[in-house]
Amino acid sequence: MSSPLKHWKAALFRHETILLAVLLAEWFYFDSVGRRFGTLDNTFDILRHSSEIGLLALVMTPIMLTGGIDLSVGSLLGLCAILFGKLWRDAHFSPGLAAACTLGIGAIAGGLNAGLITRLRLPPLIVTLGTYSLFRGLAEAITHGVDTFTDFPASFLALGQERLGGLPTQAWFFFAVAIAIWLLVHRTTFGRALRAIGYAPEGARYAGLPVERRLASAYILAGVVAALAAIIYTARLGQAKADAGTGYELFAITAVVLGGTSIFGGAGTVHGTLLGVATIAVLSNGLVHARQPREVAGMLTGALLLFALASGEISKRLAKFRARRHAPNPAVPVPAPHSQ
Amino acid sequence: MLGKYFRELSVAAVLVVLLLVLAIAAPAFFDAQPLFSRLARDTPTLVAACGMTLVILCRQIDISIGSQFAVCGVCAGMLAAGKAPVFVVCGAPLLIGAALGAINGALVAGLRLPSIVVTLATMVIAREGLRWAQQGAFINLPDGLQWFGLAQRSGQCALIAFALLLLAAMAWAMRHLAGGRFVYAVGSDAEAARLAGLRPQLTTFLVFVLMGALTGLAALMNLAQSPQVDPKSGTGLELKAIAAAVVGGVAVSGGRGRLWGVFAGVLLLACINPALTYLHVEAYWEKAIQGAIILLAVVADGMRSRKAREA
Repeated sequence: MSSPLKHWKAALFRHETILLAVLLAEWFYFDSVGRRFGTLDNTFDILRHSSEIGLLALVMTPIMLTGGIDLSVGSLLGLCAILFGKLWRDAHFSPGLAAACTLGIGAIAGGLNAGLITRLRLPPLIVTLGTYSLFRGLAEAITHGVDTFTDFPASFLALGQERLGGLPTQAWFFFAVAIAIWLLVHRTTFGRALRAIGYAPEGARYAGLPVERRLASAYILAGVVAALAAIIYTARLGQAKADAGTGYELFAITAVVLGGTSIFGGAGTVHGTLLGVATIAVLSNGLVHARQPREVAGMLTGALLLFALASGEISKRLAKFRARRHAPNPAVPVPAPHSQ
Repeated sequence: MLGKYFRELSVAAVLVVLLLVLAIAAPAFFDAQPLFSRLARDTPTLVAACGMTLVILCRQIDISIGSQFAVCGVCAGMLAAGKAPVFVVCGAPLLIGAALGAINGALVAGLRLPSIVVTLATMVIAREGLRWAQQGAFINLPDGLQWFGLAQRSGQCALIAFALLLLAAMAWAMRHLAGGRFVYAVGSDAEAARLAGLRPQLTTFLVFVLMGALTGLAALMNLAQSPQVDPKSGTGLELKAIAAAVVGGVAVSGGRGRLWGVFAGVLLLACINPALTYLHVEAYWEKAIQGAIILLAVVADGMRSRKAREA
């Protein structure tokens, strides 16, 4: 059964392969439409603009592997951005120290999500919907809705606007986090535990996995990386405002689902997520080069998300249908043995 | 009696305490004129929250209603500006809302996709599509439409009375009509409901359609209160509706909750923002307090169910 041909076919129809084909098709299309699209400068531009959403998508992957979701990452990005600005401007911290404190704040905020979800066994959806409102509201309350932090030192802005070793500076952070999370999910027992939890939480518990601790670390990790994304965002734009990162949770979730992670948990890959991020980033950048209005990118992202979800579900149904048709004798159920 | 309605009564008690504090600290809160316009302004939220209650009872969620609200409002506004007859202006938002709800329902019930992601996607598609078409331009409504030609006070009273009637009718239907019981049955255990001969997927689909139609109605009620339509209106409506439902004791795990509790939740949340103003707290805290209240409500429910588990 494991002939090389079958292997090839399986690899060809894998989710990631199809996504890669979509990505390449996008690339060649926009390259033929937009004059400046394919240049190295623009490629770096795409990388620069997708780092923050990419970071959020990367940490969303472990969470969605457990069958959870975190709607609060975008709001947390906003809160961390203005707290970073506050620490730097009003408390006169150096940017490095302020960044370290911001990462700590991110961990605490992630810990709030984690505590509510694991201690009280509340559904992640409603908890993070609450913190989504809470974090954004705190950001607005602290800045009174209008205060903006600007005039950061050039050495800090270099993180978001300069190049280091040929690549945009923030790309190094992005790649480092990507590799770390890939190793965590695919090469450690931690990642395996996350998948087991997503596949069957009760089963994971009976198998002796520390379900609560594993879940909690996934949400805390999300908080820390959202804080990192906030710092990079502030450095890229040179300003921190209360509305930073509005709607980023949608893009992150879209990237993860597009990358083939099951929304019900248990299955998915980090490289799939990376491809999903790239697909969205190229789409929104390419549409600008194709002189389409910005709203089209948002609409297409939403449509892409629906399409990715629906196609997965439809192909699963088809497979089930085919299996039933080819089954030798489906009408006779196997009688269950008496258990008494 | 008390035990059964404990959750609803505790929300009502908090509301009464808040109102008492306001009565002592800021009696101006109860002046008739601002009170009526505040209540009228919150009738769309009440209508949307009633729909959201049904959706959550079905163990689903709909976060696209803010966008639906804006689309319905803008469409009705354009029809009104184009001198369409009144019944068209009133009927169109309901139909458009129902159609948008049907899309959500088909994806959720037909393809069994998770409602949170489906409605996240339709929320963005509708919002961005509207922004593309409208470019943020307001629509000016013709003169006769505001308060449907009534005086302001009687228009406000009519809106409030209508919303309360709708609430009472829905609360009665949820308790005494088969359709209402189906919603509870499907939300408590879809498989058991199926084995009992119900059609869970159809029920879920129809609940989403109803949610859309109620959102359209809410948009219409909002339209009647102002001389123009803001294409950005309805942002955050989904959060308000979900917050009201959760605060009012509707369990996010489905199948449990009452519309009267949601009514208390809507009133409580509606009082917070004006209360902040009257008690001289800055209004920027509204969103944070709203989030904190959602968390507080789910924490209270979580504690209670943990106690029940341990007992």
